[in-house]
Amino acid sequence: MDKQMRSRLEALLETVQKPSRYTGGEVNEIKKDWAGRTSFCFAFPDTYEVAMSHLGLKVLYESINAQDDLLCERVMMPWVDMMAGLMEQGIPLYSLESRKALSDFDMVGFTLQYEMSYTNILKMMELGGIALNNKDRDEGAPFVVAGGPCAFNPEPLSPFIDAFLLGDGENATNEMLRVIAAGRKAGKKRADILRDLAQVEGVYLPDLYEAAYHEDGRLAAFRPLDQTAPLPITKRIERNLDEAPFPTSIPVPYTQAVHDRIVLEIMRGCTRGCRFCQAGMLYRPVRERSPEQLFALAEQLVAATGYEEMSLSSLSTGDYSQLLELIRGLNQRFADQRVSLSLPSLRIDNQLQEALGETAEVKKSGLTLAPEAGTQRLRDVINKGVTEEDLLRTVSEAFASGWSSVKLYFMIGLPYETDEDLLGIADLARKVVAAYYAVPKGQRARGLKVVVSASTFVPKPMTPFQWAAQDTLEEIRRKQSLLRSALNIKGVTFNWHDPETSFLEACFARGDRRLARVLYRAYELGCLLDGWNEHFKFDAWMQAFADTGMDPAFYANRERAREELMPWDLADIGVSKNYLWRENERARKAEVTPDCRHGCEGCGLTRFEGVCT
Amino acid sequence: MKMLVVFEKMGAHRFLGHLDLQRAMQRALRRSGLPVTYSQGFNPHLQLSFAAPLSVGIQGEREIMEVPLSRQISEADFLSKLNKTLPQNMKAKAAVLLEDKLAPAMARMGAATYVLRPDAHFEQLAAAVPGFLLQERIPFMKRGKAGMREEDLRPLIYNLMVKDDTLVTVLATSSKGTARADQLFLSLCAFAGIQQPRCLITRTALLDERFAPLEGA
Ligand code: SF4
Repeated sequence: MDKQMRSRLEALLETVQKPSRYTGGEVNEIKKDWAGRTSFCFAFPDTYEVAMSHLGLKVLYESINAQDDLLCERVMMPWVDMMAGLMEQGIPLYSLESRKALSDFDMVGFTLQYEMSYTNILKMMELGGIALNNKDRDEGAPFVVAGGPCAFNPEPLSPFIDAFLLGDGENATNEMLRVIAAGRKAGKKRADILRDLAQVEGVYLPDLYEAAYHEDGRLAAFRPLDQTAPLPITKRIERNLDEAPFPTSIPVPYTQAVHDRIVLEIMRGCTRGCRFCQAGMLYRPVRERSPEQLFALAEQLVAATGYEEMSLSSLSTGDYSQLLELIRGLNQRFADQRVSLSLPSLRIDNQLQEALGETAEVKKSGLTLAPEAGTQRLRDVINKGVTEEDLLRTVSEAFASGWSSVKLYFMIGLPYETDEDLLGIADLARKVVAAYYAVPKGQRARGLKVVVSASTFVPKPMTPFQWAAQDTLEEIRRKQSLLRSALNIKGVTFNWHDPETSFLEACFARGDRRLARVLYRAYELGCLLDGWNEHFKFDAWMQAFADTGMDPAFYANRERAREELMPWDLADIGVSKNYLWRENERARKAEVTPDCRHGCEGCGLTRFEGVCT
Repeated sequence: MKMLVVFEKMGAHRFLGHLDLQRAMQRALRRSGLPVTYSQGFNPHLQLSFAAPLSVGIQGEREIMEVPLSRQISEADFLSKLNKTLPQNMKAKAAVLLEDKLAPAMARMGAATYVLRPDAHFEQLAAAVPGFLLQERIPFMKRGKAGMREEDLRPLIYNLMVKDDTLVTVLATSSKGTARADQLFLSLCAFAGIQQPRCLITRTALLDERFAPLEGA
């Protein structure tokens, strides 16, 4: 950025909301000299506050910057005022650290956390001076890559992203950067460097493949155009978390992030096998970080950041094998330093209470539970291993020890759901209320508050429900209003959301590469920041489908046959399609599959070397 | 004992809101390991008190906060330890040990000095100063708890003069009345009949009721 542009930027910053989203300069920011280094920009397609809550950003930021030959900077989606200002002033979207345009980087990497951020990616590329289409990028343009959970079905983004990374990114990102560095040093053409990238384990290059379709719209074939292009693409796995990089010093935002605290990833993967849960399938196998390593990391992080709060991250913290030891150890180390440990709603049993110690009072503000479904039958269908008995015991204990507020999370529109299951939600809520009144008056805390939240189920690829139809919008609305009247109970509040966002998520989560046209058209029609209610334009999205001649119901509301070729079959996540189908069959019969810690259920992961042996 | 700390809030830090500044200071103090007093409870907090919050967009050269101490420490020691953990552009410039019984800095505030550096129209603004000050009333609209109401800026302006290519002003800043430097600039532009140019405003000192620097207590 030249001097003149810098002063225009200064003037712009004086006029926007929360300018510190765009200034960088936080404590622990890393600024490296560009000379002789390969540059990477971690691009988060949502606001600064969301981005700075994301652990993956911090992991890559520190681990890439720890390499002498590489550097990593950050960029996020600007808010509407800043977006307009940048365009008006002719300032390209720039990285926080050295204020370079996105187009100046060797590689720009987007993280795909949710489908509704896709239009933001296009906008960020446009603002950053990067051609939107892979084919239009010239020799000097950055390589645009993407990773994260949605990269496991990358097809709707395929014309815009040069390369996707499937799976753990800790080491793969460095490898990709070095392939680019070596290629550029050797004077290779962009196309050849791209072909080299496809050889990195876990990398998928959409342009090296073609798709063919049946007349009715189903995918007919998917094949490589180039002999060297692998198929399927095997996901990348960090086999040992203690050896994988983890940050010891993270940038501390000035403006408050959504999760503004130290986050320790204690475990990756989950063996419970909930059938709706994509993360549970994607991140197998279970890998734990040792308590010793976590203590050391936590100590460094506390000293480097001054954060007053710490939390543990994993898909299922209660399953961490040394949880008591971990909590005890963290409390011992940090009680004097006034760092509070915030825990998810685990069963607070006696042992845990004791581990928490006298110093650390547990926050009494609220207990959050996720039964997900209202009846035992439907909980068996989705393989959510909680019983009503468990649940009521937990809330009773909580009410007896001073809690008065409970949040219950459910999904509606689950496969094989009936109205009886919905009414079961109200039933359960009523029993929770009764459990509160069962505690004698003087003993219970005042002000009972039971919040029932029902989200709309989105069938996700790579789960046993990947074949299922999503309920239509009308059906979801009918179910919501049924629940609304059933939940008219004193002390109970019902929360629900308009189902339109879930409908679009269902389209893009299981979309093929033809949906890119819809995405682009929606972007042209001004769809942006779709994850933010005030900016979500459902009508424009529907128009984008109509304008491109695509039918959203084909993607969202259609049940697939067992043998249908899925767009995401290009990826091998270890869990096999056979296993997923078997689980789908069991779901239909409401048969439970036990947690595979107690015995392998044959999900297919053992095919991978050194995993789940 | 408590420690009064004089610090700067310059450059991009002028964009930090007061809550952002409080958090940044709390975390810097935590990183420093200095002996400070925390509140009780589940989320223990440092009880920092700031003399006068600064509006977003305005820089501060000598801002003031007070930190309660859990044990005695020398001023020099405090200053050097804190400066190791403070972000750039937020450096601490002085530390003064004070008795707890001394009224909090906020209660001792009387006025503040500001330097205004407009981007354009400086001649016109400078020429307008005498006439501006001769006005008996300078009404402006202020947002209060009960909506907008009219107030008079004139009695809150203790001084306003031209110095080189800047305007220097002393404005009332106390519980009895506070004038904002950006409001003064707005009113002056209106009086001079010009469209408000960009203007970098820096608060240069916090004064007590006798116009002595607050840190000199
Ligand atoms: S291979 Fe067996 S033990 Fe490993 S995750 Fe799959 S089902 Fe569980």
